[in-house]
Amino acid sequence: MTSFKDGFKAMLPITTGIIPFALVMGTISSEAQLSLMQTIGMNIFVFAGASQLASIDLMLKNTEVLIILVTGLMINMRFMLYSAAMSPTLKDSKLLTKLSAAYLLTDQNYAVMSANQDHLKSSTETIKFFFGSSLCMILTWNTGVILGFVFGNFAPTSWALDYAVPLSFVALVIPSLKNNKYVMVAGFSSISSIVLTNLPFNLGLICTAVLAISLGAYLTKKKRAL
Amino acid sequence: MINPEYFWRLIILLGIGTFTIRFSIIALSSKVKISDRVKEIFSFIPAAVLPALIAPLVFYHKGSVELIFGKERFIILVLATIVCYYSRSMMLTIVFGLFALFGITNI
Repeated sequence: MTSFKDGFKAMLPITTGIIPFALVMGTISSEAQLSLMQTIGMNIFVFAGASQLASIDLMLKNTEVLIILVTGLMINMRFMLYSAAMSPTLKDSKLLTKLSAAYLLTDQNYAVMSANQDHLKSSTETIKFFFGSSLCMILTWNTGVILGFVFGNFAPTSWALDYAVPLSFVALVIPSLKNNKYVMVAGFSSISSIVLTNLPFNLGLICTAVLAISLGAYLTKKKRAL
Repeated sequence: MINPEYFWRLIILLGIGTFTIRFSIIALSSKVKISDRVKEIFSFIPAAVLPALIAPLVFYHKGSVELIFGKERFIILVLATIVCYYSRSMMLTIVFGLFALFGITNI
């Protein structure tokens, strides 16, 4: 139970980055004249903010379903990496636990779990921690989206609160940088994503992820005796 | 106005697709043995993915401070990274960044 609470608490600072994002999501849904049910339905079925925002934008332009689908799935392809990273922890879990954990995977709760992995002694503790952080995530996200939908983005414009989103990602990345090799990979990822930003279907993100992980693998390669 | 039928068709497909991606490797977890070397490579995932989600958005954001070519968000993000690295505090990082941006865009 304590790991569950620890997970919930570990997520609290990150809510400063989730709330502004959720408010933007809710505001854009209401500006697109979606109903509250559609907005919540999207949160439940998809539960992946960046792809939801991209989908609304493309639906407003009456883009073909297949194209929006491919774009959204490309944005969400990174979850396959998180799925891979979570799989050793979940290998002895019940099917229902696996399904729930998979559904709840997001950037934030995966990163928080990864940063705390050293304090979590067993798979059971890790999974409880993950569910605790997921509960915090899902409550904050849905509350924020509904508030944004009903009231619009009520923060004063002189305070660019949307900037808390990238700042919270900085706070998520830094604890995962265990040594210089990780710093190099993060630096490479930033530069590569900036350079490749114009590739279609968000391929820049996927290419960057693959290249950056390969760099990490190369940097940690054991020297083989010849 | 987005046609509801079009909306739901997309959302259900996107939902199924996204869940399939999330479940993919977890589904195989009890069948495939993952070596320590692979786990070591997996540990690079946050460093490889998270910066790529935000760096382009912040870098290409057109700001208002002409002196630094409207790149205030990018410059403050670099400073916030340094603050975060030394303080190891999420709250301090976010508070620093928001105040720095407020300061530079309102004076």
